[in-house]
Amino acid sequence: MEGYIVSLIIFTATFALFGLGLNLQWGYTGLINFGHVAFMAVGAYTTTLLSLSGVPLILATVLGAGLAAALGLLIGLSTLRLREDYLAIVTIGVSEMLRLVAVNEEWLTRGTFGIQRFPLPLATLNPRLPVRVGMVMVLTLVVGLGFWQVWVWLQQRLKGVPRQAITTSSLAMLGYLGSLGLLLYGVGVGASQLKISDLPDWALGLGLLITVIGIGWVYLWLGDRVLSQLPGATAGLAVASGAFCLVFGVWIYRFAASALYHYSRNPSKTGLMFLSVLLVAIVFWALQRLVRSPWGRVLKAIREDEEVAKALGKPVFWYKLQSLMLGGFIAGLAGALYAWQLTTVYPDNFRPQITFNAWTIVVLGGAGNNVGTLLGAALFLTYENLTRFVLQDIIPLSDSQLGAFRIMVIGLLLMVLMVWRPQGILGKKEELTLGR
Amino acid sequence: MVDSHGRQPLLAANALSKSFGGIRAVDNASLEVLPGSITGLIGPNGAGKTTLFNLLCRFVQPDSGQIIFDGVSIQHLQPHDIAQQGMVRTFQVARVLSKLSVMENMLLAAQHQAGERFWNVWLRSSTVRQQEREQREQASAILESVGLAHMAQDYAGALSGGQRKLLEIARALMVRPKLVLLDEPAAGVNPTLINQICDHILRWNQEGLTFLIIEHNMDVVMSLCDRVWVLAEGRNLASGTPTEIQQNAQVLEAYLGQ
Repeated sequence: MEGYIVSLIIFTATFALFGLGLNLQWGYTGLINFGHVAFMAVGAYTTTLLSLSGVPLILATVLGAGLAAALGLLIGLSTLRLREDYLAIVTIGVSEMLRLVAVNEEWLTRGTFGIQRFPLPLATLNPRLPVRVGMVMVLTLVVGLGFWQVWVWLQQRLKGVPRQAITTSSLAMLGYLGSLGLLLYGVGVGASQLKISDLPDWALGLGLLITVIGIGWVYLWLGDRVLSQLPGATAGLAVASGAFCLVFGVWIYRFAASALYHYSRNPSKTGLMFLSVLLVAIVFWALQRLVRSPWGRVLKAIREDEEVAKALGKPVFWYKLQSLMLGGFIAGLAGALYAWQLTTVYPDNFRPQITFNAWTIVVLGGAGNNVGTLLGAALFLTYENLTRFVLQDIIPLSDSQLGAFRIMVIGLLLMVLMVWRPQGILGKKEELTLGR
Repeated sequence: MVDSHGRQPLLAANALSKSFGGIRAVDNASLEVLPGSITGLIGPNGAGKTTLFNLLCRFVQPDSGQIIFDGVSIQHLQPHDIAQQGMVRTFQVARVLSKLSVMENMLLAAQHQAGERFWNVWLRSSTVRQQEREQREQASAILESVGLAHMAQDYAGALSGGQRKLLEIARALMVRPKLVLLDEPAAGVNPTLINQICDHILRWNQEGLTFLIIEHNMDVVMSLCDRVWVLAEGRNLASGTPTEIQQNAQVLEAYLGQ
């Protein structure tokens, strides 16, 4: 379990980083980048190849991210003068081109054989007790800062709502979400029992479909008609989600801290986990500072209306280029993490699907919101992992069918989100209703 | 190009032309704006006024002609350089950045901000903070004077049409320009607010700011402008004081469409 959680954390951190890069480009600057995975591929290949040929890891990583940024420069110089939808076409083309180059240029990338046995960060480390305790403390600090963010957010949500209303609505929301969770869990357990019995597949599938749709319908009705009528319903939802974050966070934190304490049990993964969490925390902090600075203000202005930014003396092209390059740099770092986690780099790791995972993460959390991107990454990776290992025991589908099914469900969830909360989970609703 | 008082024009456009396909939108048009003046630019719909604005601000590349601003030829500058030189425009339909707050809209317009280079956010953070504070004060003062101070923290998209016009003009002032080009400041605005806008323009003009205004509302043009240029079918038709223009037979003909 511990090892599994550790790799879940690494993947989440990797995709959080990857999503943060896209959020800078699209969420803040409005650049439609459908080839984000290209930056990741450049970062991954450069880092691993350089480190294989003896370049120190830190330098190799920085060079990898730098080369990803250079790719941003190249794409930017040639296409940023195009209208935004053309940028989307060009970027998706570039990412596929790069993947095909990686498949075919075997002298450089070893093609479909993939790159293996490259050095991993902190893998040979055998830290003494004080160092391990220090690492646990750093982790605690990062997690604590995360909780503090949630707390600040919660405070904003609760401002001006009477205490009495908060208590009732929070309890109601906790009951609502808790019972939904228990119910779905029960359905899962029941179905997994039925699956090993000799019930025909079609009957189980149909039964499951009807049950899930039924539960969904009842709960949507309850939420819409009953819960949303409660005074302070949104505040209650905020408290319930905050409580869930706290419990889930502490649960995960326990595994991470224990893994760090017992570093030598699995040095390469534990070190990578520590590194990736730290990297996400630093990049997140830096980005938050940037988007709140005058620099970030110019990016947002470009997203809203380029002509105005131009008329007010901002060199729009130059800023778009910076955004594309910086987002590419961050994605390049994510690429290094990705390679270290996979321990083998194949061209197939960089299919367009990965780009759209990042889009799902950013849209889910709310575009133009870095906290939302982190949340989106956590939700997305949790979903990915839950469904990968749980669904096969429940749903009567073959493995390949399940793979497609899981993506279909993501599409469905995104559609529900677009209807119910088009601004994303943490997006601001007011922003949608504003006229141009 | 020196007027009777020996003043250099602040902005001088000489023989500008621009064709879109077969249409000569601006045809050999010239224009002068004297420093400290409020200059009007009028003409029937489709006369090429907005295109001329776009040419002056370098949003559109002229086919031929020269533009001199503040003694410097600005032909080869990019649109963003124009604002940095001290000439700023507004748009015919007010364009506010709706998902930014009113205050952010104002702050964006300030020039030479150290914090607009991302490395300065770390390397010179105290300068950035200091500048930001000063600009916030300046923006508050301008917002106060146009009566938008109470909405500073609201989304600009939540403003009414008239308030957007005000914000756009106020935002242009944050550039600390020498010349402001206003494209129909009174269009779609109720009469009370038109009067307010006119008062603001006159006050800022007395404080030394020069204006070039496109406007269809003749009352506004006549009450504000020192000098009026008339454009018809992309060509100069007349120029003079408002009274001269009012009595000009050619102008009347162009407007009434004889």
